[in-house]
Amino acid sequence: MSQGHKVTGKSMERLLEVKNLKVDFQLEKQLIHAVMGVDLSVNKNETVVLAGESGSGKTITALALTRILPPNASIVSGEIIFKGNNILDFNPKQMSGVRGKNIAYVFQEPTSYLNPVYTIGDQIAEVIILHQKLQRREAQARARELLEQVKINDLDRVLTSYPHQLSGGMNQRVFIAMSLACQPDLLIADEPTTSLDVTIEAQILKLLLELKEKLGFSLLFITHNLAIARKISHRVYVMYQGKVVEEALTSEIFDHPKHFHTQELIAAYQKIGKI
Amino acid sequence: MLMLIRGSAINEMRKNPYLIVGIIIIGILSLAAILAPLVSPYDPSLIDSQGLLMPPSPKHWLGTDSLGRDLFSRLVYGSRISLSIGIIAMGIATFLGLLLGAWAGFYGKFSDTLIMRFADIMLCFPTFFLILAVVAILEPSIYNIMIIIGLTSWMGPARLIRGEILSLKEREFIQAERALGATDARIIIRHLIPNAIGPVLVNATLGIAGAILLESGLSFLGLGVQPPIPSWGNILIESKSTLGIAWWITLFPGLAILVTILGFNFIAEGLKKVIG
Repeated sequence: MSQGHKVTGKSMERLLEVKNLKVDFQLEKQLIHAVMGVDLSVNKNETVVLAGESGSGKTITALALTRILPPNASIVSGEIIFKGNNILDFNPKQMSGVRGKNIAYVFQEPTSYLNPVYTIGDQIAEVIILHQKLQRREAQARARELLEQVKINDLDRVLTSYPHQLSGGMNQRVFIAMSLACQPDLLIADEPTTSLDVTIEAQILKLLLELKEKLGFSLLFITHNLAIARKISHRVYVMYQGKVVEEALTSEIFDHPKHFHTQELIAAYQKIGKI
Repeated sequence: MLMLIRGSAINEMRKNPYLIVGIIIIGILSLAAILAPLVSPYDPSLIDSQGLLMPPSPKHWLGTDSLGRDLFSRLVYGSRISLSIGIIAMGIATFLGLLLGAWAGFYGKFSDTLIMRFADIMLCFPTFFLILAVVAILEPSIYNIMIIIGLTSWMGPARLIRGEILSLKEREFIQAERALGATDARIIIRHLIPNAIGPVLVNATLGIAGAILLESGLSFLGLGVQPPIPSWGNILIESKSTLGIAWWITLFPGLAILVTILGFNFIAEGLKKVIG
């Protein structure tokens, strides 16, 4: 699965460029600077990993990219250039058009990110109808295709099931299918395998990479696990306390980690390897 | 709503005696109301001067009133009025409550303060006297009563739905919907309300009972449904003057109100268990 050496990242077309992004949280009495001037970019067909410990601001950075931050957080400054347009200038309607259609997400806890009162089939059909002018029946047929695409076998059962009746791994497949319903240009995966066990984790990672090859989207993968980064990515950004402290090609970062936090993250997974 | 149709919910319903009894009672009453012309043996306003204040007999199952009208037929036609007032008034209240409560809960801040403080003010009024005053100004027709009861009982559902939405909107799947490009309106209508509808449904069922009682009270005071249209409340008030000699005219409408309210309360109680 290692793709680290194939792409240099420089000769390719830019899909997303984030410049000096700052996000603040307004708490009861104090202002927290969660993201303090992040620069990052994602090219077409590239897999980029955003790594860092809990609380380093990686998730907030990801949420800021389509402006789905919690209400007490706000983007203070910066630019988010997606396909040549600054997303921060978009009005709410334009923004809804970008979300799901151009930039899609996969989250950490698949089961709680699915609506408990709809069946899987209805839920996927919903998203399709949201962005494409399809009849409900056509949308349901498309939902079936999408589930086939994420390698779900007993389609009839899954389509008529509610999220709580399926396993975490199955729900994550469903969520991936839903996110890819409108063929986004960029998929942001925020620790999509952290809540799953190791064998399922490997399956989901493999699936994501296969789908990426097949559908040709870019992947921004957020994780604290550099072992994953080594397996799947072209480039790695390491975040620490709200800042990007290191950016490097995956092939280089493991041999010459510059920042001490990168060294810590590498040491952490090597330590687990030894147990 | 959708959760109710689920197979396991249907099984649970079978094990729930409250719900079954409630549904049977309200089912029979609704059927009687819909099929009133077939069910009732006489025209409800047919006056029989030969048979005034007849006690229950095979000819008149529940007796006749002071004008010789068949009490059973009047109760059956009255159930049309009482049930439809209950259901439509509560429909209006629940709709308004959903709309205002969802708005307040979802957008919060200023609109929340505005809507909920207005609800508090409305709750401070003694509703019954407010309705009395309004009916005294407008004319007391069936439609006016439905609308007025609806407009003065939206606060309960609004508070309920606001509370539900306040907690639901922080849930992950709502963030996921936003990430998938759903607009506010879509999130509220397709995702928040279906998840919050359970307690509101229970409240609405109880509310129907409340609205029927309110209508009976209004009619009893002569400010509700006007004779000769029969409603349970105004049949009761007509019985007042003949209470000493014709107990049945008081007993049966009273029983009808009691059984209906009991039926709706049973359904509400049962629903609470199935949904909760």
